[in-house]
Amino acid sequence: MHMNKVSIQPFIDSVNNTEKITEHVSKGKPAVGYFCNYTPVELIHACGCIPFRISGGPGPLARAYDLLPDFICPFLKRATERAMNNELSFLSGIIQGYTCDAACGVVNVLEKNISGDVFEVIPFPYSDNPDSRTYFRNILATVIEQLERIGGSFSEDALLRTLELYDDIRRILAGFYDIRYAGRLPMSARDLWHVIRAGEVTLPEDYLPMLVSLAEDIRETSEDFNGRIPVLVSGSLVEDADIFDMIESFGGRIAADDLCTGLRSIGITGALKEGEAEGDPLNRLIDYHFARVPCPSRARAEDRLYHLIDGVKRSGSRGVVFLHQKFCSPHLSDFPFLREKLRENNIKTLQVEMDETWTSSGQLKTRMEGFFEMLRESI
Amino acid sequence: MKRSGKSNKRLKAAKELNTIVMDFYVECMQAKKEGKPVGWMPPMNGAIEVFYAMDLQPFFPENWSPVCAAFGLAPTNFEVSENMGYSMDLCGYLRNIIGYVNGPMQDGDKTLGGLPEPDLLLSPGGGCNPVMKIFHALERRFPNAGVFRADLPQVAVEDIKPHHIDYAVTEMKRLIEFLETATGRKMDYERLEEVVRLSDRSCELWDEIMSYRKHKPSPFSAAEIGIMFVMVTRQGTEVAVDFLERVLEEVKERAETKIGVIDREEVRLFWDNIPLWYNMGLFNYFEKMNGVVVAETYSAAWSLRLGTGHPLEALALKSLKSYPMVSCVSIDKRQEMVLKACRDYSIDGVILHRNKSCVPITLGQMDVKKMLEDELGIPSLIIDADHMDERNFSVAQFQTRADAFMEMLHRKKME
Repeated sequence: MHMNKVSIQPFIDSVNNTEKITEHVSKGKPAVGYFCNYTPVELIHACGCIPFRISGGPGPLARAYDLLPDFICPFLKRATERAMNNELSFLSGIIQGYTCDAACGVVNVLEKNISGDVFEVIPFPYSDNPDSRTYFRNILATVIEQLERIGGSFSEDALLRTLELYDDIRRILAGFYDIRYAGRLPMSARDLWHVIRAGEVTLPEDYLPMLVSLAEDIRETSEDFNGRIPVLVSGSLVEDADIFDMIESFGGRIAADDLCTGLRSIGITGALKEGEAEGDPLNRLIDYHFARVPCPSRARAEDRLYHLIDGVKRSGSRGVVFLHQKFCSPHLSDFPFLREKLRENNIKTLQVEMDETWTSSGQLKTRMEGFFEMLRESI
Repeated sequence: MKRSGKSNKRLKAAKELNTIVMDFYVECMQAKKEGKPVGWMPPMNGAIEVFYAMDLQPFFPENWSPVCAAFGLAPTNFEVSENMGYSMDLCGYLRNIIGYVNGPMQDGDKTLGGLPEPDLLLSPGGGCNPVMKIFHALERRFPNAGVFRADLPQVAVEDIKPHHIDYAVTEMKRLIEFLETATGRKMDYERLEEVVRLSDRSCELWDEIMSYRKHKPSPFSAAEIGIMFVMVTRQGTEVAVDFLERVLEEVKERAETKIGVIDREEVRLFWDNIPLWYNMGLFNYFEKMNGVVVAETYSAAWSLRLGTGHPLEALALKSLKSYPMVSCVSIDKRQEMVLKACRDYSIDGVILHRNKSCVPITLGQMDVKKMLEDELGIPSLIIDADHMDERNFSVAQFQTRADAFMEMLHRKKME
């Protein structure tokens, strides 16, 4: 879409180069990589380290196949490729919440094949009860130990400050989502994707002022962008925004999402509740974890359906595009149930699988065109 | 060689195993008829001992998949699940069992007497993603079953700390409370101790049986690995212990009298990853080139002892260790085990099954390969296949690679 009335160039710059991060690293601030939203970035930041979300991005694969089979998702293969090409050598290691088996395995594989001082997979509990919370605090203590080993330092006050910083960020992003649900966000899906991704590779104290400035611009320029067919996009990581452009080129408007590089990254449902600012910060972190927009690796499809239907209703979406990374076992496992239930709710669906090139075949364009024609006819 | 085929077995115990398998499934159906609660659960954890101690009937959907592969039911099951929208790229166990419960089982299939519907589902949080998703699908298929949402830390064996054990013990207690409420039966903790003792004894026997494969010639090969059925389904019972004692006796006698699998055992092989359940005959393929598969990673899942005296802690530890030990959760531990096995079993070559149906076991194989070459000078062969779906297995490609590999190993031994 072409309503690029706000400048998102600073966000694009942040995504496209890591100079600022490497500058911090050169001054002695360790950077820690992670793959998934479930990693407690707040803890990494509170310990004085830089949480840096590793992306794969579109591109070729060569060295990754020296370490991995071809049947894991393009994201992890490409991330491995980048790691093996020394593109991530500024990281002190990887800390990753256990989400999918492949991500866990890749952390352990990389530990053996790249330099770094900390490689930790965090075994979060699945249940939320007093015992699991006691256990949770213990595993967070282990993470803190690991971070202290690479020069980090933890205090509850620091975590409190970090939580507030991230809450401010999430409130602003949640505000963008509300405007988008109403069809009045003056940004293309590509733009919003850049805005969110920038937050994953920028220190939150640098990111917040960028967002505040953007939020002011958006208020000044918001207008109605209805007329296009609103759809919700569901999936894991989107590594190339061309697919969004394609959806928009067929008359679609991405009005809502259920993506790891979208709503799940913001995790708005766990935002700080009023009056809880004085609460124990580790408990607040645990509260946030359990209130996340759920990932199929850790939740039932039924729990995800609620968020999908909610997103569809709030945004007035006419259909759902499932954007799956090839071989992504958790998402592919949930798909049949979600499709069936959405159909029962008279919501049409399209499933798209992407490989590491993120290119769109002619066949995909035909399917996409057909999907939007069908949605248009159903209005 | 065909794409699917049964293995040629040499142990007398193999015949008895057929009866044990049949008896287990008959018992499952009988339990249902008699009103004994039937619980479906994943294998490789301490719930089985809890079930036997409370006189409940456990059943293992994952174990049903090899049965389907052996009876040729898998293609139908795949068709059902794929028509439901499950991708061909998903784990074969997942596609098979979801297909079976939504297809043949609904149509009244009576393979091995048929399956009893679950009264209880032990739905795991932990283990691998596909097994979690299998149980989520089973919850939908059997909405009247009582569901226990289990939780188990996915932690590397070498990183297990007291808080992981404490939490796993808490979960065992929560499971027992759930079962007591759901079935009205009380746990008899003396009985549980006895069950854990039997379980530990079966592990001890398992290790002893496997250790005889260090002999040259090896008294049996991976073609007989179906004996693990008792470790999956009967752990904690006299049935398992009695059977394994008889296997041990036979294996010991064969080892002492130097009766091997083939006349001239020249090349000793190690197998990594799950076998091709639809083609266990593949293990025999190496025999024509005087090769015998004398050890494997998968059987190590039951190579752990359960300390007695604190049964809940023993079962918690079993649950924590079994799966990570053979998967990418513990690549370090797995490497260490493969290296040790290759030394102990005088391995000449390793076959790495790059298994499209199992990401957790396949991830880390390339590091295992490298370590074998660097530290022991042992060459390895990668075979692209799938433990359930024969469409992902090319016989011609396998034969070409296996023949060349065996030739190379023979040449290497001559040097």
